[in-house]
Formats: sequence, C-alpha cells, structure tokens
Amino acid sequence: MIAAVKGWHAVVAALLFSCSGAKAADDPGGAARELARKTVGFAGKGGQVAVTWRNLSSLESAGSQARTAFEEALQEVGLHAADSSPTVEARVTLSENASQYLLVEEASKGDEHQVWIASWKRSDPAAALPAGLALQKKLVWEQAEQILDVAFPPAGMLVLSPASVTLYARNGSQWEARRTIPLTPAKPWPEDLRGHLRLKGASFQALLPGMRCDGSTEPSLSADCHASEEAWVLESGSRGLLLAEFAAARNYFDGRVTTQSGQRKNVTPFFSAASVESQGRTWWLLAETDGRVQMFDGSLDPVGAANVQWGSDIAGTDAQCGAGSQVLATPAVDRGQSDSLQAFTLADRTARPLTEATEFPGPVLALWTSGANSVTAVVRDLRSQQYSAYVVSVVCAN
Amino acid sequence: MSSRWFVQTKRIALVLLLASFGPAATRPHYGGTLRVEIRESPPSPEVFGVPKGFVLTTWEAGRRAVFTADENAPGGRPFLDNVDIQLARSLRDQSVDLELRKADVVELGLAELRRPAAGRRPWSSSPVRLMALVFGPRVTDARVREALALAVDRSAIHSVLLQTQGEISGALLPQWITGYAFVFNATTDIAKAQALVASLGPADRTLSLAVDDAANRSIADRIQLNARDAHLAVSIVPATAIADVRLVETRIPSADAAHALASVAAAFGLNEPAPARNPEEQYLAERALLDGFRVIPLFHLPDVYGAGPRVQGGPVINQLGEWRFDSLWLEERP
Repeated sequence: MIAAVKGWHAVVAALLFSCSGAKAADDPGGAARELARKTVGFAGKGGQVAVTWRNLSSLESAGSQARTAFEEALQEVGLHAADSSPTVEARVTLSENASQYLLVEEASKGDEHQVWIASWKRSDPAAALPAGLALQKKLVWEQAEQILDVAFPPAGMLVLSPASVTLYARNGSQWEARRTIPLTPAKPWPEDLRGHLRLKGASFQALLPGMRCDGSTEPSLSADCHASEEAWVLESGSRGLLLAEFAAARNYFDGRVTTQSGQRKNVTPFFSAASVESQGRTWWLLAETDGRVQMFDGSLDPVGAANVQWGSDIAGTDAQCGAGSQVLATPAVDRGQSDSLQAFTLADRTARPLTEATEFPGPVLALWTSGANSVTAVVRDLRSQQYSAYVVSVVCAN
Repeated sequence: MSSRWFVQTKRIALVLLLASFGPAATRPHYGGTLRVEIRESPPSPEVFGVPKGFVLTTWEAGRRAVFTADENAPGGRPFLDNVDIQLARSLRDQSVDLELRKADVVELGLAELRRPAAGRRPWSSSPVRLMALVFGPRVTDARVREALALAVDRSAIHSVLLQTQGEISGALLPQWITGYAFVFNATTDIAKAQALVASLGPADRTLSLAVDDAANRSIADRIQLNARDAHLAVSIVPATAIADVRLVETRIPSADAAHALASVAAAFGLNEPAPARNPEEQYLAERALLDGFRVIPLFHLPDVYGAGPRVQGGPVINQLGEWRFDSLWLEERP
C-alpha cells in the first residue's frame, strides 16, 4: 500500500502553474494529477514522498485508476520510488458525497500539515438488462421523467409522460425526438399518475385522468387534447376489449364498465383488467383496489375470487402457444421493491404459471397490453432512478 | 351426499379464507388519516413547514396539528386525506401508542430502538443532527477548550450511550454531505489534554456544563467523567443557567455544503464562513470555523421514525429528515 518516490524536475513549475484552483477534474486521473502537482510542490527538490491509499467510497476501479495516475504524475516530474526516510508522508483517501467523488490528501512534512482535495463529478452507471426465459423482454426507452406508456406507430415511437407526448424516430441505432406536444391538465395530476396510449395506424389516443388527446403521428406529430371523462378502452391480447371509466384524480377505474356486447355493468373499483380463455370460454379478471383479483364471465357477471397472489397490475395476451391466452401479472410485493412479471393461465379459478418470472430492476409502475402477444411494462429502476419502458413478449418455447 | 357437501364446504371455506386473507393491492390506496406523534411542541405551526401536498386545517397549540390533502397540490393530490399530528408526546408514550396501533408514525428514541417490536418499520434519515459542545464567551483561553475537545471519549459514548447510532465526528458537516469529514480529528488524547490543563491557572480548570435536551443528560455525565480524567472539573448545571459550555444539537438544514455550513455557523454564533468554489475551499472554510475550539463537534445523528403496519409506501422521511407524507398511503394488511 505504500508507494515512495523521490527526486525533482524542472517541469514542476510548469505543472504547478497549470493547476486550476476552482474547477473540478474530469475524472479520477485528472484529480490524482492535481494532487500529485501539489505534493511535488510540498515535498520540494529531492524530497521523498511515502503515500498510503484508502477507499471510503463506493467505487472500486476508480481507486486503482487514481493511484496509477498519481504515481505516474509524480514520476513525470522525476520523482522515483524509494523505501525509507520520506520527506513527506501522505495519506490519500478516495471519498464521495452526493454529487462528487473526492480524492483527499493529508500530507505531513515534520510539523507542517496540509490537506488538499480534488474532485470529479459522479455519474451513475446504466442498468444492466437481465435475460428472461419464456417471456422475452426488451428495454425500449429510458428517461429521467416518469413514463406512463410507450407505443410504436409506423413513424417511430411515442412516449407519454406526465408533461408531454413525444414522437421519436429512428436515426440509425438511435432514437431522435422529432416533436413534443406539452400536456396542460386543468388540475394538477394526481399522485401515482397513470396514462395509456392507443394506436390505430398513424392515429393515436392518449388517455389520462380527466383528459384525452386525439392525434396523429403523420405527416408530423399533432394532437388535440381536451378535458374528457370518456371511458378508457382496455385491450387484452388481440380480441378482448372493455370500456372502463377512470376515476378522475385517482389511480383506478371506478367500476363502471361496458362490455364488448354493449352491456353496462357496475363492478368493484379496480386497477387493471385482463381477459383469459379457459375451457373454451372467455373470462375477465379484474385486479381490484382491495388487493383481490375477481373473476367475471364474458358478460361481466362475477364468478368468484381467483386463487392468485398477484399485485395490482395485470394484462392479457393471446400468443398462440399451446392453449389459448395468457395473463401477465406482477407479484404482490411492496411498491418500493424490485418487481417481476410472469405469465399464467387459469384453471378452475387457480393460476397456473406458464413461464418463469422475468425480473425487473425496480417496481412495475405501468402495465398495458401492446399487441396480441406483448405488453408494455414501465419500471422505475431502483439503482439509476430512471424510468424504463420494456416490451415484454410471450415467446413460444419451441 | 355428505362427501359432496364436505367437498363443497371445503371449497366455500377456501374461497372465504382467500377473501379474508387475500393479498393486498400493490397500487397505492387513497384515503384515511395518518396518525403521527412527536416529542416537540412548537409554538407555532410555521415551525413544521407545511408537508408537501397538504394544507394546515387545525392548529391547537401544544396539542395537535392537522394537515389535509390539497386537491390542487402542484405535485398532485396525496393519497392520504389527513395527517393528524399529536404534539408533546414523550418517546415512551409514542412507543406504547404505536404498539397499541393508536399511532401510525412515531419518533424512535434509543430505548425504543433497542426493543424489538413486531410490525414496526423503522425509517432513518442520513445523519442530519449535529451534537456538539459550544463554549460561551467567558472561556477565553483556547487551551481549556482544546483540552476538553481532546478529553471527550466519543467512541465510548457512541457505542454505549448512542448504541452506535449516527457517526462520530470532529466536523461540523457530516461525511455524506462533504466527503471530507474524516479529516477533522475526533480522537481522544488524554495525555495531551492533561498537558494543556497543567499549563492553566486553577480558575481555568473548572467549567459549568448545561444540557439543552434532558434526553442527553447521560452523555453530559460521561463528558464530565472524561473531563475529570484530563484534570478539568466540570459541573452540570440546569439548562436555563448561563453556562461556560453547552451540550447542544442543531439540525443540518440542507444537503448543499455551503448552505449547511452557513446555517450551522449561524446556529452556533460563529462567523459567516468564507464563500467556496470547490470542496477544498469548502474544507478550508469549515476548518477556519473550528480553529480555536469554540465549537467541539461530537456526533452526527439521524432522525429515526417507526411506522406501524398500516403505513405503506414511503419513505416517511427523506435524507434530511423532512417528512414525506405525500408518498404514503394506508392499508390494512393481515
């Protein structure tokens, strides 16, 4: 742990003059060179420096990078390793605060003590994408602002956020923002805001609590947004449709629903819905606000509670793998924890898993059916604090 | 017939069981009143600040404050309908009320932290309260102040009396804010303290010590013993007395180092710190405030709250110990 150097060189003066007092370094190497310059000035011509290192930060690799840069900077000015009688004893600590990493050098020469601090900005690493098995997930978009839903019209990708809807278009391997339309709700959005995009060719609907936008992505993004209490269209796979009224300024559907055959029903308020085929019949599952998942027949008449341990977000798909359709569901875990998604079928009102669970780096905040065999899942990454949108597809095993 | 009845009964029982003990929803619930208890009894509601997303609707000085959800809150209407805060509750009463489910969120003192409690979720801030010894103007000889600084055995107090809560520190600002707090010396050196005291006249070897918060009396007692080891005679006087040195706590109000240092300096009657453009200049500004030992930093302590099983979401407090009721909701779980 101790590196000792000795010597002196004419370039020290130039190095010292090149040191900026107020600016942060760009990286660990820059910070280390800044400290090395000050150390050389303190040790004086022909001096010897013994350095000890320690790491109080969450970084690992940067410590060795800084150490190498520090020792190289000392060698640049002609100081070489020595193993006895140092003129200066220095302890360099790699530390951190909320916004910066720090190299803190405490140097002693006899009774003289100095503290120098060099810093560089923190940047958090991107989240890794773990792999799934029968559920195939693909990270499609990440951003700091909350994502409510994403959809893929022919012109590119639509991202619905609390403040705007944005159209992105492909430019090589990158998505480039083409146009953003701000959303201006009459009242502030509620907590746990939810929003949903529906596509029909180049046209789209953005459904939000108390607001609806009708727009098009061609020839360029346009939308007419207005206050609306109209029911939201909930899709499940390629065939299931349900009209459901969303409670204004809340995060759930209030229970007023209309079936595909036009029947109006009042059911318990619910967070999400999915249809599933079982024994040749269509059933609806509603994840109710009390935590239970209730099962209904095709006419939305209740048939009993489903024997499941799911969270509040479910969505339906009907990938033609074996028998019928699937329900993708999150588990009943606390919202602050990492979430997962698993495909199930229902037999005798009991959920039977069809796939392994695919894990996410944070809680699933939105889950919408986005195609016959896929759903969109929005996750808040607990490490990076970014919002991530995934397309999760049910893939046939063979 | 009977076997079919038995099977049917079992099915009904299973359905009823599932209906009674089904999983709780994972999306937040709206509604309900969060019951909070605190030890403080501020003279006016402004001391609280207004929790984000709420408006003050009831104020009974010394007893109770009620905040109600603001339907038009800029960040959105919070999940809770109301937050009902009972003031001036002792830590013991708070703990009992949490256990009896009369309260949802309470402060946790050291005694309460030691006692395990089923269903209680502790929430802790970063270390945001500075406990320090602050000298009054009568003590003009810096050797006396330095001797006491060297005599205090922070490690023993931290491990025994504070149950390792928080961090030992010789700095005004905590490590998580600056990244360099470890540079400030916080070690005990009785021999050096004794040498400093030996150079003093007899009148300078006695000090009166006041404790602002009675809950910290045991720490003051330990400091008194430490001082005796350095041949300083410390007598503990009532909190209302004019004392040579006071054991005090002050809150770090910001995660911004410059703002936090200026605030702490003002709280202790120190000079305004010099402006700083980078961490090294910030360190030098803090060093200048501590030169002369007018203030002896001892510990940086977190705020710790306990939440009952109905409380979901969170955290209850942020890194700085500020309430975050807007992210909470209530839910009865089996």
